[in-house]
Amino acid sequence: MIVGKQKSIDEVWAMIQGYKKVLVFGCNTCVAVCHAGGNKEAEVMASMLRMKAKQENVDIDIQDSGIERQCEHEFFESVTERIEWADAIVSMACGIGVQFTAEKFSTKPLMPGINTTFLGATEKPGVWTEKCQACGNCILGMTAGICPIARCAKRLMNGPCGGSTKGKCEISKDLDCAWQLIIDRLTALNRLNEYETLIPIKDWSTDRAGGPRKVVREDVMV
Amino acid sequence: MEEPKKIPRDWEPDILAFACHYCAFAAADLAGVMRLSYAPNVKIIRLPCTGKLDYIYVLRAFEQGVDGVFCAG
Repeated sequence: MIVGKQKSIDEVWAMIQGYKKVLVFGCNTCVAVCHAGGNKEAEVMASMLRMKAKQENVDIDIQDSGIERQCEHEFFESVTERIEWADAIVSMACGIGVQFTAEKFSTKPLMPGINTTFLGATEKPGVWTEKCQACGNCILGMTAGICPIARCAKRLMNGPCGGSTKGKCEISKDLDCAWQLIIDRLTALNRLNEYETLIPIKDWSTDRAGGPRKVVREDVMV
Repeated sequence: MEEPKKIPRDWEPDILAFACHYCAFAAADLAGVMRLSYAPNVKIIRLPCTGKLDYIYVLRAFEQGVDGVFCAG
């Protein structure tokens, strides 16, 4: 899922200066799971901003709303009136949702309420880690299900490097060496002989190097 | 920025208490049964469990003007 981190109240407050009616707009899927931008977090953000407005003696009407996903047209139908009401929107979605909402409501100023951080997993409550960089050409089948592109600081295709010490990466003692994890898992799978196979140079044209990407599937179009 | 107001001598804070049905609220109930009086500036809201206390409840309470929130369970 997409992991995000909420912006500070002061940063959001600074962005909404000059507007009279502001809608804090939650996105209740990925960023709700990481407690950053769900409908509940939107409600809390709106409450905090209202209290900030009261403290600063600023006349501003701040409301909250939200939908399941800000990256699909269908979900917006129920909230069109709420969005039309607002002078400006603070979108609590990831960067995708913010842009999608901005494209749908081209005359409505839109501000991000969170910072989109990475594609990751929930390790345990309160801990999220990066697992994928969406390179567009998955090699997990060759690396025992552990991605060296997302999880190795150098994105090494054949590792580890000399910076790997006692299973940790040289950039941080808290960061596992992805290639150590790969070797450990290959050992556990009794497939360590596969480690000897050199992974060829990766085709990065499917990554961002090829520019913004697009998937078109005519078979599912309506 | 609003100037802080001078606090009158007889001022009492408005306190909102969130109490667990099974312990703190039961204690408050028992106090009532025993005809014991307690401060009238504390208003109690019963929760099925204090685990039900969501932080938005606390924020809503402050937004509506209470001076303090008390949670017991």
